[in-house]
Amino acid sequence: MSTSTSVAESYLNNTTDDPTRRAPLIVGDNDFHSVTDAVCGIIEMPKTPPAWWIAFFISVSLTGVLFAMITYLITTGVGVWGLQAPVAWGWAIVNFVFWVGIGHAGTLISAVLFLFRQRWRTSINRFAEGMTIFAVVCAGVFPGIHVGRVWVAYWLAPIPNQMSMWPNFRSPLLWDVFAVGTYATVSLLFWYMGMIPDLATIRDRAKSKVRWFIYGILSLGWRSSNRHWHRFEMAYLLLAALATPLVLSVHSVVSFDFAVSIVPGWHTTIFPPYFVAGAIFSGFAMVVTLVIPTRKFFHLEEIITLRHLESMAKIMLATGMMVGLAYSTEFFIAWYSGNSYEAFAFLNRAFGPYAWAYWIMVSCNVIVPQVFWFKKFRTNLIVLWVASILINVGMWFERFVIVVSSLSRDYLPSSWGYYRPSIVDVLTFVGSFGLFMTLFLLFVRFLPIVGMAEVKGVMPQAHLKDVAAQGHGDYHGDILTERGGVKS
Amino acid sequence: MRYVEEGKLRETRLSAAYRGPQQEIGEKCGLTYWRSLDELAQTPEFKEAVQREFPNDEWDRLPPATRRQFLKVMGASIAFAGLTSCRWPKEEIVPFASRPDGRTPGVPEQYATAMEIGGSALGLLVTSVDGRPIKNEGNPLHPDSLGALPAMAQADILQLYDPDRSRRLIYRQGGQDFVKTWDDFASWTAEHISDTPSGVAVLAAPTSSPSMARMRRHFDETFPQAAWYEYQPISRDAEREGTTIAYGRPLRVHPHLDHARVIACFDADPFFDHPSAIPLARQFADARQPSKDGFCRLWVAEPAFTITGGQADHRRAVPGSAVPKLLASVARELVATHQLALSEEAVNLEAAFGAAASDGDVFVTELAADLMAHRGSSVILVGVGQAPAVHALAAVLNEALGAVGRTLSYTEVPDPERTTHMQAISDLVARMSSGTVETLLILGGNPVYDAPADLGFADVLAKVPNTVHLALYDDETSKRCSWHLPQAHSLEAWGDGRAWNGTVTLQQPLIEPLYGGRSVIEVVATLLGEPLPNGHDIARETALTFLDGEVTDTSWKHALHDGVIDGTAWQPAVVELDGSRLASAGAGLAGLVGAASPSVQRPELNLTADRKVFDGRWANNAWQQELPDAITKTTWDNTLQVAPPTARDLGLVEGDLVEVSAGGATVELPVCIVPGQAAATMTAALGYGRTAAGSVGNGVGGDVYRLRMALSPWLVPEVDIRKTGRTIPLATTQDHFAIDAIGFGARNNRISTLVREASIDHYLADPEVFHHFDHHPPLVSLWKDKEYEGEQWGMAIDLNACNGCNACVVACQAENNVPVVGREQVINQREMHWLRIDRYFKTEPGVGPLDVDDAEIVFQPMTCVQCENAPCEQVCPVAATQHTEDGINAMVYNRCIGTRYCSNNCPFKVRRFNFFNYHKDLQEVEKLQFNPEVTVRSRGVMEKCTYCIQRIQKVRIGARNDNRPISDGEIVPACAQTCPTKAIAFGDLNDPTSEVSRLREDNRAYATLAELNIRPRTQYLARLSNKVGGDGQGGHAPAHHGDDLTHGKEAG
Repeated sequence: MSTSTSVAESYLNNTTDDPTRRAPLIVGDNDFHSVTDAVCGIIEMPKTPPAWWIAFFISVSLTGVLFAMITYLITTGVGVWGLQAPVAWGWAIVNFVFWVGIGHAGTLISAVLFLFRQRWRTSINRFAEGMTIFAVVCAGVFPGIHVGRVWVAYWLAPIPNQMSMWPNFRSPLLWDVFAVGTYATVSLLFWYMGMIPDLATIRDRAKSKVRWFIYGILSLGWRSSNRHWHRFEMAYLLLAALATPLVLSVHSVVSFDFAVSIVPGWHTTIFPPYFVAGAIFSGFAMVVTLVIPTRKFFHLEEIITLRHLESMAKIMLATGMMVGLAYSTEFFIAWYSGNSYEAFAFLNRAFGPYAWAYWIMVSCNVIVPQVFWFKKFRTNLIVLWVASILINVGMWFERFVIVVSSLSRDYLPSSWGYYRPSIVDVLTFVGSFGLFMTLFLLFVRFLPIVGMAEVKGVMPQAHLKDVAAQGHGDYHGDILTERGGVKS
Repeated sequence: MRYVEEGKLRETRLSAAYRGPQQEIGEKCGLTYWRSLDELAQTPEFKEAVQREFPNDEWDRLPPATRRQFLKVMGASIAFAGLTSCRWPKEEIVPFASRPDGRTPGVPEQYATAMEIGGSALGLLVTSVDGRPIKNEGNPLHPDSLGALPAMAQADILQLYDPDRSRRLIYRQGGQDFVKTWDDFASWTAEHISDTPSGVAVLAAPTSSPSMARMRRHFDETFPQAAWYEYQPISRDAEREGTTIAYGRPLRVHPHLDHARVIACFDADPFFDHPSAIPLARQFADARQPSKDGFCRLWVAEPAFTITGGQADHRRAVPGSAVPKLLASVARELVATHQLALSEEAVNLEAAFGAAASDGDVFVTELAADLMAHRGSSVILVGVGQAPAVHALAAVLNEALGAVGRTLSYTEVPDPERTTHMQAISDLVARMSSGTVETLLILGGNPVYDAPADLGFADVLAKVPNTVHLALYDDETSKRCSWHLPQAHSLEAWGDGRAWNGTVTLQQPLIEPLYGGRSVIEVVATLLGEPLPNGHDIARETALTFLDGEVTDTSWKHALHDGVIDGTAWQPAVVELDGSRLASAGAGLAGLVGAASPSVQRPELNLTADRKVFDGRWANNAWQQELPDAITKTTWDNTLQVAPPTARDLGLVEGDLVEVSAGGATVELPVCIVPGQAAATMTAALGYGRTAAGSVGNGVGGDVYRLRMALSPWLVPEVDIRKTGRTIPLATTQDHFAIDAIGFGARNNRISTLVREASIDHYLADPEVFHHFDHHPPLVSLWKDKEYEGEQWGMAIDLNACNGCNACVVACQAENNVPVVGREQVINQREMHWLRIDRYFKTEPGVGPLDVDDAEIVFQPMTCVQCENAPCEQVCPVAATQHTEDGINAMVYNRCIGTRYCSNNCPFKVRRFNFFNYHKDLQEVEKLQFNPEVTVRSRGVMEKCTYCIQRIQKVRIGARNDNRPISDGEIVPACAQTCPTKAIAFGDLNDPTSEVSRLREDNRAYATLAELNIRPRTQYLARLSNKVGGDGQGGHAPAHHGDDLTHGKEAG
């Protein structure tokens, strides 16, 4: 291979398909030890890099803004937001759906790809799962604070009470409580359980008592015994099977908030699949947005390879097209149904007062991903990164368009309005990014961002010549190193 | 209707708990053991010390406190009252030791009383709970009320509890304010009036009160040198002067619209600004019932939309200055084309309007033909803003058309010798400038604010050495007077008045004066040297003169109970045209007819009384300020109303702040673009731009009184319009932003199905006409329908009767403790009215949003329709909105956590959310107005109409106690109770004989948005129009499409 510094030609480029052999999932001259070193090295860095501190400072400040805004909101009333009579849900719900959507990628990568035996998932699944948890945390903030009387928000839960009253099981908001709650719980379990062998590795490498103690607690006495591995793999498989339907259910249920109502523009049966596709779309975009700078900063290019990024670009292309199809189907049905309210809702969306938001959405979600037809762009980090950010912008606007433009003009023209966010809306949203980034930065500093155990499982070293002794899972074919030949 | 039995009336003062601290001096002395303290307090040293200590401090102000503390402190204030030389009659210290006959604590009672608007009394029935009045309703026995009340009269109760109302007598001298007592004032008057009566002048607000007339006679007898003037900015003087021209003496005009088949209004707004607006509106609504023989037709020519114009079958937008010409051309058409014979006395007038050719104007020719075809059942009404000669011409035409005695009658005025108000104030100003007025007593009114600008009233007031102003507020006039006297609110004082037809109406207080105010009658008594004026005795003495037969205590109580004295209406006057006066009026009329048309560059400005704050007196009334104007739907502002083409020509857009100048004065007003405004004219309402109204009204809107001239009070012929370059958002409750083409088109498409309308001819030919709109599959339910045993409530709103007057909106607000949110929150679209009146303009198809020249208006009162299959109930996660056993979609406020999902899913958007704690800054005294039977909602809670469920429950409990069924009409929601036209019917849908069941069986009944399968319990009755030529050009022919099979009449 060429020694050129260009990525496209360097050994780091594993995107070239050679029909005679499988492309390597890990590039470079890596063995188990070097992978452990690379991943644990981030955690074991003696001195936190200044760049981390700067990013952390900014993120924590923004988190402070978030909590300041929430305090102001709770002490004053939801009137501090831009909500009004026709548009009673605004940025809070937009942000909720946005963050829940982002939270889809992690579980999809971990669970669905696991079940489909997409081994390339191992390099990015931990990362994506972490991102999922943090996104769900951010998402969970909004429905909690958006109610008028936050102090009694627990009435949403079916808790025994002196009124002997159940919540209203007909309400999609209640379904949301269950769907998001279940999703958050399972995702957290899945993430944590998958991390146990790696936590044990960090424990074993610990040089300080404190570190040894904390990671010791976290690794739950993992000794890497055969029995441990057996239980672990079975549990992992079961959790993956449990999490897989949740990937589909959670955003389907979130979409019911809209689809079950009678608001024109909300009341559509296409919403569940459309929302799930959109969620995967935005989730992958967020993983790409975060992983590109992270792998660069922590020198993980050999583990999180260009091929991974390219695969994610392909998924974004596919889901972006699905979302585009959904947009056009909505228009078709609005016309085909003959329902004048429905027809107006969509005409108004595209050409009414919120047309600007609609066209931002279409540009970012439908047009931008079209660049991924070209391998040149799929493997260009700058293009990939910018496109992934634009997709996130577009997906935020998708929720904005759905929530706000539908509500702003429904049945009676006398009640039509125009919603504008207040500064508190804006700062709360910005603050939620602070919370997300704070959690993310803590994650990269203190927890293994790559599933070492799993990555090792897909490395050639794990697959000795003895077929019977090949590692866990059923790996088909040999992994070749860049240098050629089977690693042993 | 509940009445208080005889013997339960409170002739004596009410509960001591609500006594004001200062008002008592006028009363009988009781407790001797206060005497020494009293004498101590009377010493000048002590009073000086108090003055030094508290020169400006409101030391008597009610502290913010709980009810319990409030009672305690008020108890303490009785002791303080002793210090300020006041004493309590013994019997009032322990008023409830023996319970007054028939009073049950906690049970609301209603008392008949009265208030005056514009010199005519309006009968009220005020609900009182434990001694605090909480709601004004109309007295059904009163001829001008008939049980209903306009919005302004209902909102007046808020004025009673206004914490900004003046609480003390103020004497201003040398730039300092001194707190004084009524005793001080009495001794001051003895010095300055009784001793030197020659330089005394009185400027009083006009009143119909017989007691006041009696007191004035005493005053005139006692002080023959004193001059008495009466002024109010908004009056019917033009009509009065017009009848003087026509008949030689001033007369009162009484239209009888129930007999009218053709009504022609020339700049007249009988449904708003007439003292008999309620009976007139009801007569008109009755004359528009399809069941009635002959369907009335309304023609209106006016510069700006009024609620009368909104009801018109044919409406012409004409500049105010062109109205005389239009009437003249109708007259000419009648005389020349239809050979209508005018009376001999009036033939001279023909010369004046002879030149006014109709030019083939269809409006004129058709109107003339219509009037001619309905001689004896037609009537022409001219508005108060038109010149007397125009009224005279209308009188002549009415005479010729045979209206007098049928659709119109006259009565003598009670004060024939009075000059016009404009003349009176001009005379007074002349006298003041000449320096011959030494003492000016201003009894009510606010002339510094509302006198014509060219008189410079404020400046000449400064030349008068002694000035006294009696007013509810320490207002613009009070601030410039040496004495300010706090006036008692009409619910705090005894008095009387006469309805527009003369019926004597009694005014009894519901509560002690909260702030120690006195009524005008009592102040005049003080001026006459009465040390302890007693309004009750004065009013009683007057009333007894009207009572027939043996005058007893019982008959007085009976009159108080009814609120009116039967048989005191005036008899119709016998009238005869006065040829000589008519002849001399011809030239003036010709001048008016020949007036030049205004140009767009220098448009004409028409001034109107505001539909909410009237002449400015309700400027500090938050309900009125937040009430959306019937036409423009603006709150918290008066606007410069401009038609779309005029705005386009002048380059104005909605919300542009413009400077309107005329006669050297300039007023800044925001532009509001309203279809239906006459081209090259603008309209602005009086009553805004107050500077000393109080915390609510100060600085709201622009003061157009500054453009008003004594000789032309309603019209500024030419104004300069200059853009300031600034814009302000208008706090409108509808059309929150300039509409785009897509929205405009969709809105216009929907209006005809939301507010259904057809011509009467079309309807009679095809009674199912309104159901051709329904295109939806059969509405089937997914679930088994709930069976209702007992009652299930429903409502029917007759859009044909609704004129958009807003009375129901305020009634709902008063009944249900609906908060006021303020200008900013209205701009944020967070107004809280449970009941709103949707106003839509209807235009011909194909007209773009910027080209709307003229439009029709339709109104649709919209509140929760209590869907049987309610979308809100299904989505509430905590089950806070639920169906009751009698079918109402109830709100459980303490269960609501405020997800607002119900609001999103409500297709009518009638749910209101408490975005903030809107009651946080209320003062204790304001909370006295709250209806104790309705929860005051907290922040974060959704609220909405529940058909006044507290009224339903109250009747139900009573019926259950009596072991009887609830009878139809027994339960009346607040909106239905006060509707002047009885457009709202409420009752039991399970009872096939109930009115609401009968109305819902009507062919006009339809449910808005029924196609959503929500099954609304409130249904609407479609509008009917009656254009000349029925369904022809300009008629209302609904589009008929689809076959009859798809026209499913909604279930339920």
